Amino acid sequence: MTLTASNLHKSYGQTRAVNGVSIELRPGTVHAIVGENGAGKSTSLRMLAGAERPDAGEMTLNGARYAPPSVIGAATLGVSLVYQEITINRSLSVAENIFIDRLRMFAGSLGFIDRRRMESVAQAILERIGAQISVSSDTGRLNLGELKCIEIARALSTSPKILLLDESTAYLDHREVQAVLRVIGELKGQGMTIAFVSHHLDEVLAVAQELTILKDGQFVGTYRTSEIAPREIHHRMVGRELAKSIYPPRPAKDPGKTARGPIVLEVSDVAVGRELNNISLDVRAGEILGLAGLKGAGAKALFAAICGDLPLRHGSMKLAGGSYAPSSPTFAWRQGVAHLPGDRNNEGLIAEFSVLDNLVMARPPRHGPVFDRAAAITIAGDLVAQIGIKVQSVDASCRSLSGGNLQKVVIGKCLAVGPRLLLLNNPTRGVDVGARAEIYRIIRQWAAQGLAIILSSEDMPELIGMSDRLLVLRQGYVTHRIETAADATEHDIIGHMA
Amino acid sequence: MPNASGEPIRNAGRLELIKRSFPLAMLVLLIVIFSILSPRFLTFSNLLIVLQQGTVLLVAALGMTFVIMAGSIDLSVGSIVAIAALVTAFTSSSLGAAAIIPAITVGAAAGLVNGVLLAKGKVPSFIATMGAMVVYRGIVLLFTRGAPVSIEDEQFLDTYTNRTLGIPHSVIIGLVLTLIAYGIINRTVFGREVRAIGGGERVAILTGIQVARVKIYMYVLLGALCGIAGLLQGARAMAATAQLGEGLELDVIAAVVVGGTPLTGGVGSVVGTVLGVLIITLLSNGMNMTGVDPYLQNIVKGTVLVCAVFVTIDRKKIGIIK
Repeated sequence: MTLTASNLHKSYGQTRAVNGVSIELRPGTVHAIVGENGAGKSTSLRMLAGAERPDAGEMTLNGARYAPPSVIGAATLGVSLVYQEITINRSLSVAENIFIDRLRMFAGSLGFIDRRRMESVAQAILERIGAQISVSSDTGRLNLGELKCIEIARALSTSPKILLLDESTAYLDHREVQAVLRVIGELKGQGMTIAFVSHHLDEVLAVAQELTILKDGQFVGTYRTSEIAPREIHHRMVGRELAKSIYPPRPAKDPGKTARGPIVLEVSDVAVGRELNNISLDVRAGEILGLAGLKGAGAKALFAAICGDLPLRHGSMKLAGGSYAPSSPTFAWRQGVAHLPGDRNNEGLIAEFSVLDNLVMARPPRHGPVFDRAAAITIAGDLVAQIGIKVQSVDASCRSLSGGNLQKVVIGKCLAVGPRLLLLNNPTRGVDVGARAEIYRIIRQWAAQGLAIILSSEDMPELIGMSDRLLVLRQGYVTHRIETAADATEHDIIGHMA
Repeated sequence: MPNASGEPIRNAGRLELIKRSFPLAMLVLLIVIFSILSPRFLTFSNLLIVLQQGTVLLVAALGMTFVIMAGSIDLSVGSIVAIAALVTAFTSSSLGAAAIIPAITVGAAAGLVNGVLLAKGKVPSFIATMGAMVVYRGIVLLFTRGAPVSIEDEQFLDTYTNRTLGIPHSVIIGLVLTLIAYGIINRTVFGREVRAIGGGERVAILTGIQVARVKIYMYVLLGALCGIAGLLQGARAMAATAQLGEGLELDVIAAVVVGGTPLTGGVGSVVGTVLGVLIITLLSNGMNMTGVDPYLQNIVKGTVLVCAVFVTIDRKKIGIIK
């Protein structure tokens, strides 16, 4: 089946999300839709899937007019969507999740569900896509990549001819991404037509044969992946020549000096919960220490311990030479330890609040009990200017900001307290290329001013490009130490991770 | 069409304006309807009665605004008011007007228990305060054995029921407390922390806000205000009864919510709460004045509550309604 869309338009209020996009999905091809945040990728895909109705434009399916009234309507026509967010209910079984909207199919004569038949059909689909998941698994214990595979299985259970995947790898770590890409590859081998949206060019180049580039809601072009260079794709996505690297240059090293600055944090033989076992590390002023590892390898637990959110099971810590045993996040912040959590929307900031409210949340300026609003406006204004947060006024709600700008607000909140140690957990997750470069610039700039930074990331190039030193974690242990991160290769790191 | 793109924004702004001014519009509408139906409604003496009736509700609702803004709830306010009234009755004969000190102390202590249960014991506020509601009421029953305790001390009654410049002292106390609550919510770090807890508790914790401590303070504040409410109610009735304040929690929550503070937290307004209190009080008073069948009144009150929330609630911010 061929699905075509020509000249699609879609606006939300004042915002033109999609402005003249055309896509042709040819049978049996994997087609990637790429672009920066806000380029209209997801909106375009959602229109193909019946989740949004175009304001204008034509869509055809095998030459016939195609105007699905809903996602379910599209599915009955053979076009199935996998959402960006994980929509698995963890209190239901794997098979129940796959057939959640069609459990009736398996009803027996008395109306009871024939579980055995449902599970065997579910298992058959999972096997077909090469997902190594048993239907008897406890959904509560599966990782996000496995949950994503179950969602793909759900989409396939309606026997679609065309599968649409919206940012399927956004929340996944390296290993989980590989599992999802394997499934896409498997389906490609079976002749399925697939369109997917992605932020990551390496994923796109790994599985897609064709790609459509969007920019600012407009159609840039459709290309064969074999005929366009990655650099060219970047260029067309961003619309300007990218600097050779989005990572700012490291400060030139004085060859005579080996140590950077005094040690700010020293972690000795620390164990936390079940996730982290006997880790020792130190980070110096002016240094960026990178932590590589899969989800659950221990970086998150280490951050939780340093920021006072989880107690140590074993070991001790020193901050600026003095004993450091944070009893709460309050204690950690007061000691100058700022923390940027990995989950921006649930842990980093309050989206309903204003930019100012979020920026001064950690240390509100005050006269005794009274909040000093005038001082807060000055602080927030300075941070907005320094970090380059694009916002009309500091009183604007964070709701209206893009992912990159929101992350800058969280960084601003950390910097507002004048920290001596900054913990960054995936600081550029869901942030587009342009804002990423700016965030890297800010991080590097603060390090140069003497801030000690620990950077935990699932993005290998980011770790290599930003860190001075690198530690690789696996199952709660340090498996590899790289003294000069600039010389490390992804291959090198991944080998010690998995 | 130069206007075409500007239109949706202006409409959205208009809708927002309607939502925000809805409590005030409702209040005006009630006043207009009741004054048409009853000539005695819009008189100075009746309005003073409304203010007096509303003061107890107002004082408790000011405290409840904090608790609801933080995304919690307190069902025990009616029982705390009853305990405070009882303590007032017991101590006013010896302490006179100074009976306000034990009243506030007992209220604050009851609030402290609620706050510690929630913040340290991690018992959800709905359950913790539902239990507290029953226990505090039980304490009142135990001490009174169901019989009213009268308040006769002249100095006490003079202080809290007399008028200055024609305005009852209880109303003046209510006004002062309203100003204080307004200042705390809008001008203090504590007010911002309460709001941040309601907006995103996990964010607040990880940003270093002392969430447990703020929650306890907030319940102590509500308890202390309920202490004052109990004293004012006792002074008005010249007695503390075992039934005093029964069902008050529902009126208090209704007043806060009708005033535009959603139960989901993160948002709250003292002005809204004052309007909510006036709406709830005027509705009862007006229905009595105009002779609405007493058996019909609850149906009207409940309908008004749901309608107010239906219009004012901001579904975009809340997303999922539970």
